[in-house]
Amino acid sequence: MSEILDPTLAAAGAAKIDWAAAHAPVMAHMRDRMVADRSLQGRRIGVVLALEPKTALLAQILTDAGAEVALACPAALVTDDVAAALAARGVEVFARSDATPAQDEGFLAAVLDHRPEVVIDDMAELIRMAHTTHTGALVHLQGATEETTSGINTLRAMAADEALRIPCIAANDARCKHLFDNRYGSGQSVVMALLDTTNLMMGGTTVAVVGYGWVGKGVARVARGMGARIVVSEVDPVAALEAHHDGFDVAPVTDACATADWVITATACPGALPVSAVERCRDGAILANAGGPADEIDVTGLAERAREIRAVRDHVVEHVLDDDRSVFLVGDGRCVNLSAGEGHPIEIMDLTFAVQGLATRHLALHAHEMAPGVHPLPAEIDAEIARAKLAALGVGIDDLTPEQAAALADWRHAPSV
Amino acid sequence: MTDATERSHIADPSLADRGDERIAWVARHSPVLNRLARQRLSDGALDGTRVAVVVHLEAKTAYLALLLAEAGARVVAAGSNPGSTQDAVCAALARRGVEVHARHGSPPDEFESDLLAVADTAPELVVDDGAELTARIVDHRPELVGSLRGVTEETTTGIARLRALERAGRLSFPAIAANDAWCKHLFDNRFGTGQSVLAAVLRLTNTSAAGKRVCVIGYGWVGRGLAQYATGLGAQAVVVEVDPVPALEAAMEGHRVARLRDALPEADMVLTATGGIEAIGSEAIEWLRPGAILANAGHHDREIDVAALEAAASDVVTARDGVTTYRLDGGDVHVLSEGRLVNIAGADGHPVEIMDLSFAVQALAVHHLASTPDLAPGLHRLPVELDRAIAATKLATLGIELDDLTGSQRAFFDRWDQ
Repeated sequence: MSEILDPTLAAAGAAKIDWAAAHAPVMAHMRDRMVADRSLQGRRIGVVLALEPKTALLAQILTDAGAEVALACPAALVTDDVAAALAARGVEVFARSDATPAQDEGFLAAVLDHRPEVVIDDMAELIRMAHTTHTGALVHLQGATEETTSGINTLRAMAADEALRIPCIAANDARCKHLFDNRYGSGQSVVMALLDTTNLMMGGTTVAVVGYGWVGKGVARVARGMGARIVVSEVDPVAALEAHHDGFDVAPVTDACATADWVITATACPGALPVSAVERCRDGAILANAGGPADEIDVTGLAERAREIRAVRDHVVEHVLDDDRSVFLVGDGRCVNLSAGEGHPIEIMDLTFAVQGLATRHLALHAHEMAPGVHPLPAEIDAEIARAKLAALGVGIDDLTPEQAAALADWRHAPSV
Repeated sequence: MTDATERSHIADPSLADRGDERIAWVARHSPVLNRLARQRLSDGALDGTRVAVVVHLEAKTAYLALLLAEAGARVVAAGSNPGSTQDAVCAALARRGVEVHARHGSPPDEFESDLLAVADTAPELVVDDGAELTARIVDHRPELVGSLRGVTEETTTGIARLRALERAGRLSFPAIAANDAWCKHLFDNRFGTGQSVLAAVLRLTNTSAAGKRVCVIGYGWVGRGLAQYATGLGAQAVVVEVDPVPALEAAMEGHRVARLRDALPEADMVLTATGGIEAIGSEAIEWLRPGAILANAGHHDREIDVAALEAAASDVVTARDGVTTYRLDGGDVHVLSEGRLVNIAGADGHPVEIMDLSFAVQALAVHHLASTPDLAPGLHRLPVELDRAIAATKLATLGIELDDLTGSQRAFFDRWDQ
């Protein structure tokens, strides 16, 4: 039985899912394929993702393809009407916006009690539980696919400790995921969430981007498109050099904070913005997190440091520091496009969830042949997704001619230079 | 309840705390109003003057109204569009002594009676948007035209209306074309509308801009901003114009320029910014691409001919909050915020810092009208020294320093024989 706030909200949620479906041609392609080949017929699937219309569409498509799907989501990321609609459409949903942390923990356990064969995970929550507190789940669990950079870091650490007992597909590492979702999806939706919640101008301001991975690249790109100057902070010299060649200033995080009107973290690392850096911030600086962990900004340390804390607008909390300077934290330091916005654009999640859906299909068919560990998504699945999207756009591409393909494969003859 | 609340016509006085919160955020991000405007208005020129403010009634406008009231003016306010009125802000204004006649989503007859109620207070100075109040006073309350000492107008559309009034020989009072001030249109129309319209469209639809084709109809200051920000978000802009000069400018800027009938069939998003009517009329509806998202960035809610869409559609449904889907023979098209100005009807309007500049123009224009009694009837520009003072103040608050011409450089420019 589903655990949701209010089943009567289903109609409003259904309209939101249908809007997403109308902008998701690749998921439609995937649905047709799975329904036809019955690859998920009768298979049990567990899902942990922020529950909003796009994730709901993924869960619904898996259900349409014959799978038994159970889904959990932490309270802060639940859209109640979508949860109601999804429950009405045959998914077991454990998600309500008023859940306590203990209830949320119980919801994750409920998904494992569903004895999933494959899980679609976010931040490796279910995988970690199945390997620690709920090891009974490993009896049925054959494989998992992981959405985020942070979660994959966890899985790699587990594999290094030889603790990982199942094959996991690093969905985030698929090209059709991180090249689009992390960069264009986070880039647009993080910057737009900040503009929406603050009603402030970005043109002519300085934006500090902490971390220059795919998310940081996307945020920097869109913020520049909005007319801002960018200063990037990094710990990896290669990424820092890349930022420099992209035309951005690069500086250590405390120096960057001293010049920034906005500070956006995108590191996948807790404590990326320590209180010592926040202390260098200008009066009025806006702080937000674009990464996975909710503690990239040291929210707890900031709260202890603040003389006064007060909500000033929806999603915006002022922290008054000792010297009467204020900084404004948006979306509680959680990933801001979800905590203070509607998440990534639909067309981007269409690609991401095609990766997740087809990775799930691949695991359902092949997990028994795969060794425990972290695996890439097979390249032909990435190519299939990109082709489906290009076809939906009406964009044609070329094929190598047989002669070109042969020349590229020929190692005996040096190409003329 | 204050007297102003009793005289006001608003939705719900109990929302005042919420409105105050919003106004406080605006106050924090309005350095030019706080510094320059407050100082210039403090000379008593507005003492006891009846001032009407008829601009989109949200927190930024409220802050302007409060500054005028603080300077001694007796301020009456109404919204310039029922879709943009925020009831919480109205409640806060009324509690602070400003008489307000506005309610979010009021039907046309109520909107009309609210504006006439403001007209009936016989304002001496008017801060107008789209000439909504000025036109009504001239048309419906001719006996009150005599008490009008001046008008300052916010928009391109309103100035066009005032020029028409002037041509008809009925502009018998001075009007300042606030929109034509540099510190207004160079920033508000371009950067303000550009950022806020794109953000509103993406928020209302949860769609992606990257790789999309965005058709921008009209390449005035607003259209320039829309094309610039769409490009900044990774989209391609296609510009449609009727005037060859801006069309050429758009082409030089690197945008594709095309006729409407060629641009629409490939446009994923269509943004209207002509300041006129029927930019998307009944004929153009047939050229729209299936799935196209339509939004208006101009003053009128008549740029997208919603009535024609309704007539052509087999069904009309609400797809999401603020998104109306019209089922046409060729496929669905989606109109945002019923064709009203999308950044205001579907979001919080322009960014605060932009309106700080625009409303500094308005505040100094009101002050100029009040303190220059011999200003001739007709349209005037904001005095250039006021425009420069606004920009200089903003730069100072940003910590940006400027150079001066050297003596010999200045002498060179002053001579004609070199």
